[in-house]
Amino acid sequence: MLALYRKLLVASIRAQMQYKLNFITSAATTGMIMVLDFLILSAILYRFHDVSGWNIYEVGLLYGISSVAVSVYRFFAPEINDFEKYVIHGELDQLLIRPVSPLLLLLTRNLDLSRIGGMVQGISVLILSIAGLYAQGKEIGLLLLFTPVAIVSGGVIYFSIALTTAALGFWTHQVKDLQTFTIYAPANASNYPISLYPGWLKWMFYTVLPIAFMNYVPMLTLLGKAESWYLPLLTPVVAALALVLSLRFWAYGIRHYHSTGS
Amino acid sequence: MIRADRVGKTFFLTQAKEGRFSSLRTLFSREKREVKAVEDVSFSIEEGEFVGYIGPNGAGKSTTIKMLSGILHPTEGEIVVGGYSPQQDRARVASQIGVVFGQRTQLWWDLPVHDSFELLQAMYKIDRQSYVRAMEMYKELLDLHDFLDTPVRKLSLGQRMRADLAAALLHNPPILFLDEPTIGLDVVAKTRIRAFLKEVNRTQKKTILLTTHDMDDIEQLCSRIIVINHGKKMVDTSIQELRNRIGLASMIQIDYHKPPKLPEAYANEGVERIELAENELTIYYDKGKIPSPRILSEVAQWGEPLDIRMKEPGIEEIIKRLYR
Repeated sequence: MLALYRKLLVASIRAQMQYKLNFITSAATTGMIMVLDFLILSAILYRFHDVSGWNIYEVGLLYGISSVAVSVYRFFAPEINDFEKYVIHGELDQLLIRPVSPLLLLLTRNLDLSRIGGMVQGISVLILSIAGLYAQGKEIGLLLLFTPVAIVSGGVIYFSIALTTAALGFWTHQVKDLQTFTIYAPANASNYPISLYPGWLKWMFYTVLPIAFMNYVPMLTLLGKAESWYLPLLTPVVAALALVLSLRFWAYGIRHYHSTGS
Repeated sequence: MIRADRVGKTFFLTQAKEGRFSSLRTLFSREKREVKAVEDVSFSIEEGEFVGYIGPNGAGKSTTIKMLSGILHPTEGEIVVGGYSPQQDRARVASQIGVVFGQRTQLWWDLPVHDSFELLQAMYKIDRQSYVRAMEMYKELLDLHDFLDTPVRKLSLGQRMRADLAAALLHNPPILFLDEPTIGLDVVAKTRIRAFLKEVNRTQKKTILLTTHDMDDIEQLCSRIIVINHGKKMVDTSIQELRNRIGLASMIQIDYHKPPKLPEAYANEGVERIELAENELTIYYDKGKIPSPRILSEVAQWGEPLDIRMKEPGIEEIIKRLYR
């Protein structure tokens, strides 16, 4: 299974490399957008010093985790993000005639290498933030241990949300602007403390779009803002749960695949 | 080998919304249109049969093939392919079938043809020995030598189809589904593909289900045809039987320099009808009873032909005739 995954992936990357210019320009654009994004955030923080009781380094931690997690998801699953074309043009047909899981085939069709830019940027923010917290005299041992867990869990949560959104495409045939609500908006929202948002939105981020569990909830404990010791444990648990549910929904949705006439 | 039992597929097409947030509004829309793509279709195909599955555009041919190969789930009825349900045991059925869609390649578009075969070897877990044997055989039969190292996107349509056929057969499946495998090909390429399919069916006893709009495919390859129209099965019979029932008339049309002189009473077994309009002569005949060259040699004696056109009866016409 893993050998097949690797083999198919290498083939896809080789195919992608046939269009080198395209690759270079898209990597550069992604990097630039991410840098711009961060500059805006820095400007806001510089002006206000803190956001609902979280200082610049603490918000940087939230931002860093979220942005690396999104990049990890976009890196591994660009075809889930672009799933619309598979439904509209019936491209899923050719994946379904193979004796291999169509999801595995989808994931091996492409790697979005240009997202490495986003990961580097996010990791830089994380390093700066953790160093800043250390300078303020905070205990950072647990933070360092937990950050990779948060990133992986966050990537899984984004992937689960994206897979669910993609599976909705079996009925709607359009996913692009659903993604605005389910992926892009939450990805932006999770750069800041969830306590900022109105009740109904908060409720969304704790349930159907559970991005709160990726960075905000565990950081409450780790940054000493909440007493409960178990909050960080919820992060991988929620991620696993989201993944299982989204895989089930995907398997259910694929039965409703229409394909296209030819 | 293949059995479909009262199979039906109904789509509920939501009227897609336009404008802002169209997908959200589509998701919650209640306007749905019911489309019965396939309705109550049953048939059974035995090992080694070569069956043509025909019908006009939109009749439900592709939908049926997609249900048989596990791509679509039928709304009603049951399907068994090679002993398993393509819906419940999709992966198991997948390794027993080879599928070719004429409209779309299964190969890796940007990679050399050879790479696609290697990836398929890994995907279907074909052992080295069988793989080498299959490759040798299909390289020979389909003459793939010249373009094995060419990226798929640079192949001609004929080459691509040959590569696609080899790819579908690499794992040695007993069953082949071919959805319009000759579409868009020139005469030479068509002839070559037909010869190959005939060979594979004869020597390897592969069970083949083929959809096509080309009557020559049907006549030269299939021993049996199933006709489907508006999603329902209309006819399921041998080619011979169909020929007797409607008589597949071919047409030959000749423009003469001056009005031709026809023999007083021209009668020939196989010629159904002759129409003469000034300089233009049209002959309807049954190819099975009188070969085209004989007609050509005879019409040349009646005058000086300027132009000769030949036309085979189209599938639409035959279906129309079937239900007239």
